[in-house]
Amino acid sequence: MRAETDDLRFKISDFKKSEIANPQSEIRTITVAVAGNPNSGKSTLINAIAGTRLNVGNWPGVTVEKKTAIFDYEGVKIKLVDLPGTYSLSPYSQEEIIARDYLIQEKPDVIIDVVDSTNLERNLYLTMQLLELGIPVVIALNIYDEAEKKGFKFNTKLIEQMLGVKAIPTISTKNKGLDVLMKAVMEAASDTAQHTPKSINYGEDIESAAFVVESGIRNLYPTLANRYPLRWLAYKLMEGDEHISKEINLSGDGTFIEDAVRHLKLAHGSDIESLMADARYAKAAGLAREALTKPDTRKIELTEKIDRLVLNRFLGIPIFLAAMWLVFKLTFDFSKPFSDWIDEMINGPFKRWGEALLGFVNAPSWTVSLLTEGVIAGVGFVLVFVPVIFAMMFFITFLEGSGYMARAAFVMDRMMHAIGLHGKSFIPMLLGFGCNVPAIYATRTLENPRDKALTALLVPLMSCGARLPVYVLFVGVFFADHGGTVLWSLYVLGIALAVVMGMVFKRTLFKGEPPMFIMELPPYRMPSLKNLLIHTWEKGKHFLIKAGTYILAVSILIWFLLNLPWGVEHKKDSYLGRMGQVIAPAFEPLGFGNWEAASSLVSGLIAKEIVVGTMGEIYVEKKGEGAEDEKKESPTFIEDIKEIGTSFATAVKDSFVNVFSTFGFASISADEEEEDKEKGSTLKDVISTQFTPLSAYAFIAFVLLYMPCFVVAIAMKHEFGTWKWFGIAFAYQMALAWVVALVIYQGGKALGLG
Amino acid sequence: MNLAMLKPGEQAKIKKIGALGPLKRRLMDMGVLVGEKVKVEKIAPLGDPIEVTIKNYNLSLRKKEAEGIEVEVER
Repeated sequence: MRAETDDLRFKISDFKKSEIANPQSEIRTITVAVAGNPNSGKSTLINAIAGTRLNVGNWPGVTVEKKTAIFDYEGVKIKLVDLPGTYSLSPYSQEEIIARDYLIQEKPDVIIDVVDSTNLERNLYLTMQLLELGIPVVIALNIYDEAEKKGFKFNTKLIEQMLGVKAIPTISTKNKGLDVLMKAVMEAASDTAQHTPKSINYGEDIESAAFVVESGIRNLYPTLANRYPLRWLAYKLMEGDEHISKEINLSGDGTFIEDAVRHLKLAHGSDIESLMADARYAKAAGLAREALTKPDTRKIELTEKIDRLVLNRFLGIPIFLAAMWLVFKLTFDFSKPFSDWIDEMINGPFKRWGEALLGFVNAPSWTVSLLTEGVIAGVGFVLVFVPVIFAMMFFITFLEGSGYMARAAFVMDRMMHAIGLHGKSFIPMLLGFGCNVPAIYATRTLENPRDKALTALLVPLMSCGARLPVYVLFVGVFFADHGGTVLWSLYVLGIALAVVMGMVFKRTLFKGEPPMFIMELPPYRMPSLKNLLIHTWEKGKHFLIKAGTYILAVSILIWFLLNLPWGVEHKKDSYLGRMGQVIAPAFEPLGFGNWEAASSLVSGLIAKEIVVGTMGEIYVEKKGEGAEDEKKESPTFIEDIKEIGTSFATAVKDSFVNVFSTFGFASISADEEEEDKEKGSTLKDVISTQFTPLSAYAFIAFVLLYMPCFVVAIAMKHEFGTWKWFGIAFAYQMALAWVVALVIYQGGKALGLG
Repeated sequence: MNLAMLKPGEQAKIKKIGALGPLKRRLMDMGVLVGEKVKVEKIAPLGDPIEVTIKNYNLSLRKKEAEGIEVEVER
C-alpha cells in the first residue's frame, strides 16, 4: 500500500496548494466526462484521480448513482463527471440514456473513455459511439498490467493515428499512467477544435447515406444542426432511433431520411440498426486486429480454473451457499458489537450528559425529555445503523469488484427467476433476514429498475432480526414446548408469501416489462482495500447525511406522539394511545382488538423490537417506573468517559471474536440482562391473560408482515428517489398482514383451536 | 438449431438473431452478431442460464434468450 501511495503522482495536498496559489483558477472550468464499460476499472480510476473529493448522488429522477468531483489541477478547475458504466450508447437502458443525454446536452470539454485492455474489441465498440459525438476523447487503456501479463502487445501510436485521439496506458489500481492521462486531457481541453476526433468511416454505403441525411437536416432543420453533432444525428435517424426521433420531433418533411436509407435497405436488408452495430464492431475488430498482438498460445487462465470449481454442476450451489452464509455472518457479526456500543453510549452517557446539562440551566422537564428521548435517541437511531450499512457495503462491493457477484447471479438465477426476480436478487433477500435496511440498499447491485423494485418490495417479507424479540416473547408464553417449530413456521411463512407476492407482482405491477439476463461474467480480480474503503465510505456517508436527517426528524415526531398532549400521565391518553384506541376495532376480527396491542403495533413502526418495549410500558406501567428510579444513581463524567473507552475496546474485541467464530474458532453466548428478565416475566404474566395461543400466533404473524419499520421506508425513498415504492410496499403489506392474521385467527377458531 | 440446444464445449457460428426490440439491441451491443463465433462453456447448476464465450469474453444469458439465436454447429 505504502509503496503505491509514494508512486501516486496526484497528491491531494498538491491540489489544495494550487487551489490557494492560483486565484485565476476560477476563470476556467474544464468538464471531463468519464465513460466506459462496466468492469473496465472506471470507478477505480475515478477514485484514484478524485479520491475523497468525490460527491455521490443520484442522476435526477432515477436511481442511478451519479459521482462528481471538482478539484484544481495545475491551476485549472476540473469538474469530473462519472457516467454510468455502459456497453453502448443505444437508448435501451436507463444508464445508456443518462450517459447519452449528458454527453449530447451538456457537451463536456473532454471524454475520458476507460477501456479494459484485456477485452479491447468489445470495449472499442463503445469508443466508436463516443467518437461519433465529435467531442474530444482521451482513451485510457486501463488494466494494462493484466493485458501485459497475458502477453498482449499494443501499438498505441497506431490506435492514436487511426482514431485521431490519445490512447494512454493506465493501471488505475496502482495509480499508474494517470498523470499522463490528465496531461492528455488538459491538452485536449486547451484546443478542442484541434483534438476533435476524426470522423469514422463505416464504409461507402453508410457514409453516403449519412451524407444525404446530413444535407437534408442542414437544409430543412438548420437549428438541429447546431444542437446536435450532425453526423451522429444522421446515424441515429438512419437507425430509426425512437428516443431521438421523439426528442427532435421532425415537424415537416422527413422523407429525405427514407430516401437515404432506401438504397442501404436494398443492399443490406431492412435492419439498419443491425447494420450500424455490425459496422461499429467491424471497425472495433479491425482496430484491435491491427493494434494488438496476442500470443499464439493461450494459457488456461485463473478465472477459468476458479470457474470450473465455482460454477461446477455439483459444487456450484454448495460453494454459493457457503459464500452467502459467510457474507451474512460477517456483515452482521462484525457490525453488531459496534451497533451495541453506539446504542449503549447514546442511551447511557450521552443521555445523562444531556440531562445534566439541561438540569444545570434549569430547563423545564419536557425539554429534557425531548432532548434525550427525541433528539439524542434519534441520533442514536441513525448511528446504530451505520456499522451494519458500512459492513454490508464493504462486502457487497467486494463481491462485485471480485467478479463473484455475477457468478452468484448465474448460479441462483433459475430459482429466483421462477418468482420473477433476477439471480442477483438473492443477496438483498438474504441480508433481509438480518436487517431489512441494508437489504434495501443492497438492491443497488441490480441494474434493471424492474428487478430492483420488485426485489425491494419483497425484502420486507424476510423476517429481520428486530422481529425476533417479539416472536420470542410470545413463543415463550404460549408455545414453550414447540418454540423451534413455531419460530421456524414464521420464517417459512414470510418466504412463502414472498414467492406468492413475487408471482402476483410479476403479473400485475410489472406486466409487460421484459426481464433480461444478458450479463458479462468478468474475470476475477482482487479489489484493492483502498478502493473498497473509499466506496464503503461514500455509501456510508450518503446514508448518514441523506437518510439520517429523515430518521432524526421522524424520531422527534414520534416523541411528540408519545408525549403529547402536555402532561399526559397514562400512555392510553397520549396521541399514541389514542391512535391505538381508534384503530383497535380493526384488529377485532384478528383476535387482538384492544388498544394496548394496537398501540404496541403503532410503536412497532419505529422498529419492530420496540413492540416488546411498548408492551412492557403499557402492560406493566408501574414496574417500568421503578426501573427508571434505579438509573438515577448516575456515574460521574470521568467514569462515563472511561466506560466509553473500555466498552469500545470490548466492541472491537467482540467484533473480531465474532468474525472468528464465524469460521468456527470461538463462540460467544448472548447475555440477557437480569433487569430485563425480571421485567419480562411480569410482562409475560400479563400477556398470558390477554392473548390466547391462537390470537398470539395471529399477532406475531401480523408483526412479521405489516409494514416495515420507518427506517426501511426512508431507505426505500432514499434508494429510489420517490415514495412510490414504499407506498406500494406499505399498502400491500398492511393488507397482507391483516388478511393472513384474519385467516389464522378465524380459520383456527373454525377448526376449534380458539 | 439454436444456441440453447448446444452442449458445453460445442462451438457454433451465429446465423440469425430472432429477438426483437431491446433484447436484440442488447445482444448486439454485447457483440452477439450474425457471423460471430460462439462457444457454450457451461450450463448453470440448476440448468439455466448458460455461459458462452464470444469475442473473447464470457457472457451469460437465459436459455429463453438463447433460443432466439439461430446457430450452425462448427466441427
